[in-house]
Amino acid sequence: MGLGFTVGVIGVLILGHAAYSTIQYRSLLKITEEEFSGPPMEVVLELLVGLLFCMWAALTVPGKFLSVHPHSDENRYVSLCVRLRYSQIYCVVDFTGNTYVTLVRLTVSCLLCI
Amino acid sequence: MAVGHGDSSSSDKKSTDALTDLQTFNAENLQSNMKVIYYSRTFLSIIGGVIAGILGFKGLIGFVFYFLVMAVTSAALTAKAKFSIHSYFDTWNRVLLDGFFGGLMSFVLFWTYPSRF
Repeated sequence: MGLGFTVGVIGVLILGHAAYSTIQYRSLLKITEEEFSGPPMEVVLELLVGLLFCMWAALTVPGKFLSVHPHSDENRYVSLCVRLRYSQIYCVVDFTGNTYVTLVRLTVSCLLCI
Repeated sequence: MAVGHGDSSSSDKKSTDALTDLQTFNAENLQSNMKVIYYSRTFLSIIGGVIAGILGFKGLIGFVFYFLVMAVTSAALTAKAKFSIHSYFDTWNRVLLDGFFGGLMSFVLFWTYPSRF
């Protein structure tokens, strides 16, 4: 994400430079009383590079896509955790060494596992 | 999930399982994926507007440029989802159309803003 953010910032800076160059070019055209038909080729190339950088950043910075299938590999930890929680047996050993085993407790605690 | 015994019961179970799989989604992940699409489209709408303003597009060609940028964004998002949309979304419309017209307002704002200069 850090690299994507840096690339995005560089893309925005390139676009800013292209905008500044175009403003300067338009001021020059106003002096020579010519009509603005488009920025110079170098600015167009700069815009293209800036767009590519920004596009790459826009696709990588917001994050990855997560699977929506409940039984996929990415969500397996959550479902395994739920199964464990549903079938736990608690063992308590007191100071005399006696072991007390509680009954299986059914608890709905999937949120705690996430 | 238990495996069914016998052919007819197993096929019924498979079709029931398929139906259940289609209807049950991890809603949290789906919402997260929708946010990713929204942020990507909004940012690229703004960048598209800035570029259209710098290039001096006027009238219909500006909107054509916006649709072009959004089409490329949709293709890129589909590629990001490794072309298996149903693993990450419930319908194709999410990737292709969601945020399309929301970004249009941002595009127009940033498209017309540089004309002040």
